[in-house]
Amino acid sequence: MVGKADIVIIGAGIIGVSTAYNLVEKGIRNIVIIEKNYPGSGGSFRCATGIRASFTSEEHVLLMKESVKLWKELSEKHGFFYLRGGYVWLLSTEEQLELFKKFVEFHNSLGVPTRIISVEEIEKLVPTINTSGLVGGVYDPLAGKADCFKSLLLLLKYVRDKGVQVYTGTLARKIVVENSRVQGVETDKGFIEAKKIVVAAGYGSRDLLKTAGVDAPLNNLPKHALVTEKFNERFKPLLVDWSSTSYMVQTSSGTFLIGAEIEEEYNVKPVNRIEFLYKAAQVWVKYFPWLAEINVLRYWTGYYVMTPDHHPILGPIDDIDGLYVATGFSGHGFMMAPIVGKLMAEWIIEEKPSIPIAENLKLKRFREGKMIKEIAVFG
Amino acid sequence: MDPKKVIVCRCEDVTLEDIYKAIEEGYTDLESLKRYLRIGMGPCQGAHCIPIVARILASKTGKKFDEIYIPGNRPPLNPIPLKYFLKKQQG
Ligand SMILES: Cc1cc2nc3c(=O)[nH]c(=O)nc-3n(C[C@H](O)[C@H](O)[C@H](O)COP(=O)(O)OP(=O)(O)OC[C@H]3O[C@@H](n4cnc5c(N)ncnc54)[C@H](O)[C@@H]3O)c2cc1C
Repeated sequence: MVGKADIVIIGAGIIGVSTAYNLVEKGIRNIVIIEKNYPGSGGSFRCATGIRASFTSEEHVLLMKESVKLWKELSEKHGFFYLRGGYVWLLSTEEQLELFKKFVEFHNSLGVPTRIISVEEIEKLVPTINTSGLVGGVYDPLAGKADCFKSLLLLLKYVRDKGVQVYTGTLARKIVVENSRVQGVETDKGFIEAKKIVVAAGYGSRDLLKTAGVDAPLNNLPKHALVTEKFNERFKPLLVDWSSTSYMVQTSSGTFLIGAEIEEEYNVKPVNRIEFLYKAAQVWVKYFPWLAEINVLRYWTGYYVMTPDHHPILGPIDDIDGLYVATGFSGHGFMMAPIVGKLMAEWIIEEKPSIPIAENLKLKRFREGKMIKEIAVFG
Repeated sequence: MDPKKVIVCRCEDVTLEDIYKAIEEGYTDLESLKRYLRIGMGPCQGAHCIPIVARILASKTGKKFDEIYIPGNRPPLNPIPLKYFLKKQQG
């Protein structure tokens, strides 16, 4: 292992990899990535691959609008699957419709082209869906999905080929800080001296930051997902059943991926629970009777790394020179990776993000009582 | 035999040649190789192909089989239709 680097990134999830990618594109080469397990082994290879800009805070919308553009560019340049197949929210009450009218107005005011759609339009966008019980929906044509394996692996290969060192199976134990300045990272394989350190360690970030004396309000929330066997394309959009906050998407490989909310507690080890399978089946077989006969291949769990305002913590930690963080994506880190990597590289090299509103997402917002406001809380 | 004609992962239709190529491109750990080519992600869950792939990887990289092969499967171990989870709602 090398003993020294300009920049050490902790975590080879999509965020760490995208940050390395953007630094490389700015000409920085002396970068080390430390990954305790294997690349993608955290949230990144467990995600539902959904990508959208239709959020309900200005911060999320403005960042994600840019990220959606970058997804297209990156996928074309590096040759991985990305499709703007849209999102459809399935709404079953008039109250839900009223709420979503407000969201749509907000999205439109920021240039995100969501719209309320009728049940007939849902049936057109989602062939074979049984719409009984639905009053309408919302369609986001700009939203989409990407291949979570290939996107990470191809970007990682790209940075490796440019000279970035990646140490897998290597645990970062402690971020060493002296006189309010980072000195390096202690790992289980030795010490790496570094001028700058980026904590992109997903669910491991809170503990790592503590070793530098930084207390970040991060909590790991267990989440559940399953995939079925694969089929030819049945429908393009990612579907969200608003009443049960459950979603279903046909992934790039043709499998159907289902996530469904079941009650969970923060910071417990996720375990497989039969209730999840019952809930997934109950919600989605109602919409797609054919799904009853389809095989479940895998069921897994992972974490959403949550913050109190459900927005990520990004950028420099103001009191410690050379320490940067990008985590707490609260379930949206995959889609945000392209823009977050870009902003992190800008903070590190130019000390300023190109999207000024990103400054609102720094850790100090919690100390200053400036949590991010949403027009309403939204999945 | 022509590596193009040897199918290693039948569920995802991955040939020996695909595996050789990916290893050359630098996908030299089983976890990355698996996801890059989707080996073992079909109905058999890797029961047939993963040990073979680990062996190929061992011979190409000079690592020991035991260093490379990490058994471990996600439930359910055999594919099961969703209808079996419809019977009753718990909780
Ligand atoms: C079921 C599910 C569905 C999801 N669906 C979506 C979706 O549709 N769209 C979306 O945008 N997001 C989704 N997410 C969220 C998304 O997966 C995450 O926000 C994203 O992957 C975060 O990327 P990351 O790089 O920050 O973290 P991770 O991918 O978790 O990477 C962090 C890495 O750091 C490593 N690490 C941790 N501690 C240490 C240490 N001390 N030393 C060295 N390495 C360490 C870990 O091993 C890990 O590989 C979903 C998540 C789940 C669980």
